Amino acid sequence: MASRASALERPAFRSIGRSLLLTLPIALWSLLMFTPTFRNGSRALSIGAVAVILFMTGLFFLMMRTGETYRWRRIFFVALGFLFPIGFIASLIAERGTMSIPISRMVSGDTPYCFMVTPALILPAAFARTIVFPGSILPTASNPHSIAVMIGLWFAFTLVLGKAWCSYACFFGGIEEGFAAFSKRRRLHRFVTRYGSILRLIPWAILLCVVLLSAALFEPVYCMWLCPFKTVTEFPAVRNVETALQFGVFVTLFVGLVVVLPLLTKKRTQCGFFCPFGAFQSLFNKINLFDIRFDREKCVDCTLCQTSCPTVALSKESIHEGKTLLNCMKCGACVDACKKDAAVWHLKGTPVAVKPERARLLFLYGAWALATMFGGSILANSVATMVHWLPLK
Amino acid sequence: MKEDIVSRRMLSILAYTGAALTLAVAASVPFVLMGAFSNAVAHAGLHIDAAFSGGTVARTINRGAFRIVVYQPVKPRLLERIEPFVQIVFEPVDAMPARVSEEIDLDGDGQPDVRVGFSVPADPNAPLHGDVTALNGKYISFAGVGGESFSRMVVRAGKQIVVRVPLNRDLARR
Repeated sequence: MASRASALERPAFRSIGRSLLLTLPIALWSLLMFTPTFRNGSRALSIGAVAVILFMTGLFFLMMRTGETYRWRRIFFVALGFLFPIGFIASLIAERGTMSIPISRMVSGDTPYCFMVTPALILPAAFARTIVFPGSILPTASNPHSIAVMIGLWFAFTLVLGKAWCSYACFFGGIEEGFAAFSKRRRLHRFVTRYGSILRLIPWAILLCVVLLSAALFEPVYCMWLCPFKTVTEFPAVRNVETALQFGVFVTLFVGLVVVLPLLTKKRTQCGFFCPFGAFQSLFNKINLFDIRFDREKCVDCTLCQTSCPTVALSKESIHEGKTLLNCMKCGACVDACKKDAAVWHLKGTPVAVKPERARLLFLYGAWALATMFGGSILANSVATMVHWLPLK
Repeated sequence: MKEDIVSRRMLSILAYTGAALTLAVAASVPFVLMGAFSNAVAHAGLHIDAAFSGGTVARTINRGAFRIVVYQPVKPRLLERIEPFVQIVFEPVDAMPARVSEEIDLDGDGQPDVRVGFSVPADPNAPLHGDVTALNGKYISFAGVGGESFSRMVVRAGKQIVVRVPLNRDLARR
């Protein structure tokens, strides 16, 4: 990717002292978040917590020092995407010896809640006061990730992040961002650009189908038939033709949308062209105060921003209007790619391109604080799991 | 012109106030906000769909050391794909004999409706072999099923044995 702000190409954005000063609140926040781990956690968890504090604080420092957002955020996000399954699968294997979830655990409410199913729950919850998911509403000893806890967490995050949930909190997105980053060449670029306007509509169509079918059938249709990430988390135990078919769909979607297509296109294809939860999350961009805007006086229509966008959240028309599309997840790729400083962070209600760094800082403090709290604890847990595996005495 | 500048300034002040509030919200997430939203969901009067939870308890039958909890029949909604069923829970597993065979009155009319039999292996992860014999036409017999579907199962779930007996669809509608 053509990155304007590479440390090799231009002088540092800020002095070390000023960058350290701006990083101090995040360092203190990280310490605060992991204090209970140091008090009550195991030695392995404490090691994980120290590693995460250094990791998250270090990345924030680099964001401050270089003025770049995307590549440092991506390091965190890819680490989250690849380490989350390690910790999660290890806990499943330790607990039940398999990644598959047997029917006995579903009927006893032991399925951990996944935020991806949230849109499908709305209609049955509103009209029948029923949750069509085999979890438990309140946390239990065998299922701390209950529905109330996870929806509470998701909603609080959404108020702060809007659609940026997809680039600062969603551990699934990190997996495909990782595969997209592996590839050096961008293939199928013309296809993606030409048909972008149609491809962008697919997640909305899937969202509509999933919401209506879940309400009609009273079952979590996305979880049961369409979630690619079941492949790297847990899936219903194969016990008949239907569950075998479901497993086949999960693996096919994972390989196609999360591995192969991101490798080919350098885009987050599952997020951009499939994920119904991502489409649902886009709606919260309307109430979020932060966005990315384009200074039309500086823009030379080079389309570097459009090329760099991982989820096709920019079109020529939207750039002409000086805006991103509704599905922008505020990852910062376009801002970092723009050689003319035309793409800028923006606080709604303020003039465009006036003090964009202030808008970036205000957004990043909230986003990084929550990323440290949620993603950081997942990372610490995964690191602790790996420490357990090490032959250390 | 002057009014325009004033309104723009007012808008900027509002925007920065909103941004400061967003930061305050972010800082309060782990301490207040997450818990508050979780409590709101927990007290919203929602319940897990009966296909997963088994529905509501009808009555409890004591059998000395262990007890049998009989649930209300669960009938599918218009397009729901499950068969109608009745859930029966035997608990606690620790207090049960090695082989359980019980005739159970499911509808509360004083007459037994099904005979449920299963062995209780000492190993909680060992497969459970059970069979259900219907004693009238309202219920459907099955055997040797560990967890085939949400409507017919004999499975161990923690300290409970969960049995789901399918109801005859035609009779269940009445």
